[in-house]
Amino acid sequence: MSDMKLSRRSLVKLAGAGALALPALRRARAAEVLYINTWGGPWEEAAKAHLFAPFTQATGIEIRTISPVSFAKLAAQVRTGAYEFDVTTLGVAELGRASQANLVDKYDESKIPAASLWPGAVTLNGINSHAFANIITYRREKFPNGGPQTWADFWDTAKFPGPRCLQNYAGRVLAFALMADGVEPAKLFPYDLDRAFKSLDRIKKDIRVWWSQSPQSQQLIRDGEVDIIGMWNTSAQQLVDQHVPVELVFNQAVVDVATWVVARGTPRAKNAWRFIAFAVQPERLAGFAQQNNYGPMNPACFKVLPPDVVRRMPTSPENLKKAVLLDAEKLLPELDTMAKRFERWLSS
Amino acid sequence: MAVELTQNAHVAPLPGGRGFGALTRPPAVLIAPAALFLTAFFVVPLALVAWTSVSEPQLGFGNFRDFFTSGYDVAVLLRTLRTAAIVTVCSLLVAYPLAYVAARSSGFLGQALLAVVALSFWTSFLVRTYAWMVILGVKGPIAALAVAFGAPPPRLLFTTFAATLAMTHMLAPFMVLTLYAAMKRIEEVTMRAAASLGARPLRAFLAVYLPQSVPGIVSGSTLVFITSLGFYVTPQLIGSPQDKMIAGRIGQEIDQLLDFGAASATSLILLATAVALFVVYNRFFGLERIWR
Repeated sequence: MSDMKLSRRSLVKLAGAGALALPALRRARAAEVLYINTWGGPWEEAAKAHLFAPFTQATGIEIRTISPVSFAKLAAQVRTGAYEFDVTTLGVAELGRASQANLVDKYDESKIPAASLWPGAVTLNGINSHAFANIITYRREKFPNGGPQTWADFWDTAKFPGPRCLQNYAGRVLAFALMADGVEPAKLFPYDLDRAFKSLDRIKKDIRVWWSQSPQSQQLIRDGEVDIIGMWNTSAQQLVDQHVPVELVFNQAVVDVATWVVARGTPRAKNAWRFIAFAVQPERLAGFAQQNNYGPMNPACFKVLPPDVVRRMPTSPENLKKAVLLDAEKLLPELDTMAKRFERWLSS
Repeated sequence: MAVELTQNAHVAPLPGGRGFGALTRPPAVLIAPAALFLTAFFVVPLALVAWTSVSEPQLGFGNFRDFFTSGYDVAVLLRTLRTAAIVTVCSLLVAYPLAYVAARSSGFLGQALLAVVALSFWTSFLVRTYAWMVILGVKGPIAALAVAFGAPPPRLLFTTFAATLAMTHMLAPFMVLTLYAAMKRIEEVTMRAAASLGARPLRAFLAVYLPQSVPGIVSGSTLVFITSLGFYVTPQLIGSPQDKMIAGRIGQEIDQLLDFGAASATSLILLATAVALFVVYNRFFGLERIWR
């Protein structure tokens, strides 16, 4: 009996020691690790295939992913000095706020030589990667004679009746509101806030819900909870691929850009910049963008992509002519007021 | 602080040596793990939140002043309290008859009712919120019924009604279980005595049963009210855009405004509201009764 007890105890000890040693072993095998914040789902699949795996193969640096993308976490980790991720992507408005709050590692030529980038590649210390368009999408059967083609149409509830939905996101919605009120795309920035909110007042009662997650936007239009929606071209294209009867309108699209940034103060900054330099190279970025219908920001990508794919992308020279590119630098001073005022407007 | 606690646990002299003292009062060693855990994962973080609320963006009570002087934040707080009150009353109306039947019927029916309540109790809030999205949606059973009768499908989702209904469904089990526990302690003989003294069933219920179930009503209502103060996902996903509750406001202050100071202040105000309710409850009923 006592023998058995003894052996059981030593077994437990052995297992315990093994469990303790396991992480150490893993560390020994992959000397260097980089933690990347991802959007999960199809985004991460594409990133793994075109960016992460090739990077690990080329450099030996292992990549671990953390999702979902959390802007608040970026702020929290710079405050606390505990880094859960080293690299993340930010949209234009977040990039502006991150830059105000000093959350992002500064770019200079020693990080990535300008020769390996393209003119306009760097915005507020972030490296522009890929763009997505905020577009009008409508259910075809609700508008057999053609649906809304402009934001003014979206606002016109007499001509195009039916419940609508927009994203709960001031930076993009205010651009829609101004264009609906007749502001020319070229004169959009900085936003005329009074005019924008006046325009929003006109549509408020017809917006049944304000979506906040991309799957939510897909569900709302797929189930027919709303007839018209302002959503990302990437999620809308997925609906088309699933044979949901929706029409995508690229006219007056509001294009937002995802930029790669390095969390300020992370101990793995050097490898983080190495990864970013790798991730915006034409072939890599082209493959990643194509898989999710993003528009690559590196113009060299268009040379390696087939023309019919380029035509679907929000940053193709053709589509960009009809669209508005959000201007991070011009929006910077009003980001805070804008977000606060929008929230109040929304819940009153 | 944590170190201090463990040391105390070791050196605390036991009055009366190893005699009765050690047996009659709980030794500090037994409390130490819980105390350490709470210190590390509750007291310290809470103190940090309190510190953030008065130190960011600058030292002082600016965040609290902003909260109470902006009509907006106060309105959100009042709306949260009102929603919690409505949900509490609705839960009570749903739960009381159910708990009553379950407590008074011995055997299968009572067991089955409790099982149904428990099953719903164990299902995650998020899953139940999605279930309501399906039920109330334009392709859901209610809309299908309306269409079958020739009416246009009613717009039920994204309304205050939807959020209240779903929150009531989520919190009613708390009420049922608390009421059930209180009702099980009511002696059946008192009702028989009332009947034998000539009281009709309704009179017996109102004069004898209901007063005895009041502790259960108060405990259940306190639990439901305080729990609904912190609701976040449900109003966000199926409520109307105008239905923002205070937890949603805190989320927004952190996620979109990166205003940790204001978010901490709002959190403390929510906490203070909940604590105030507990204090009132404790004053009149005693906190230890809430779980019985």
